[in-house]
Amino acid sequence: MKSQQFQIDQQETKDSYMISLGGELDLSVVTQLRSVLEPVIDRVDLNLVLNLRELTYIDSTGIGIIVSILKYRDGINAPFSVKEIPPSIQRLFDLTGISGYLTEGTEK
Amino acid sequence: MIRLQIPSHADYIDIVRVCLYGIASKLSFSYEDIEDMKVAVSEACTNAVLHGRSAEEGGSLIDISFEPSEAGITIIVRNDGPPFEHHESRTDAPPLQGIEISELPVGGLGIYLMEALMDEVLVQSSENSTEVILTKYVSE
Repeated sequence: MKSQQFQIDQQETKDSYMISLGGELDLSVVTQLRSVLEPVIDRVDLNLVLNLRELTYIDSTGIGIIVSILKYRDGINAPFSVKEIPPSIQRLFDLTGISGYLTEGTEK
Repeated sequence: MIRLQIPSHADYIDIVRVCLYGIASKLSFSYEDIEDMKVAVSEACTNAVLHGRSAEEGGSLIDISFEPSEAGITIIVRNDGPPFEHHESRTDAPPLQGIEISELPVGGLGIYLMEALMDEVLVQSSENSTEVILTKYVSE
């Protein structure tokens, strides 16, 4: 069970801020994720990147958060991308249609 | 029938997934089907936690029953409290498509996902409780 626990890692470089998620993202970790996002969501000077490589589970709660980041960053004209989406999660992104709005992170 | 009762709190939804995984693994479901059911059942529990009656209001438990059958499994998620908003999505179109980013809906994806991931979804509400009945058939 330990390996399934939700994890958040953060890494800031010169022009990007990467938040890497691992484990299961559901309603129980929303507050934790929001508190990590809060200080960086307004940073227009940084490309905000969400790395989902280690994420094993997501549902509408997590997808809703990604939609809200997408809308917020679009509203302030700041870059946001989601990268390394595992196949099982990509499937849910395709089902809901959010894939069409996500740009794969190709930043240097 | 296998029954599980959890406090109406987000911290226990993963227990429901673990339990579902165990039960569905003993039936002949594929890995993908089990993953789909995990999401659908979590959505029903998330709705129950968010919209169900709080502990202060005297309804602080969610009942989940798993009913395996020859054809598959039916999972019933029951909570006390008024029904959550439920619009039968009549179209199969993804909800997040062909809309300006600023207009994208942040909520309402749960019921869509349940319907997309299960074979049958029924929401039954009475004055005091809501039941979400989810059925998945074992694919041939």
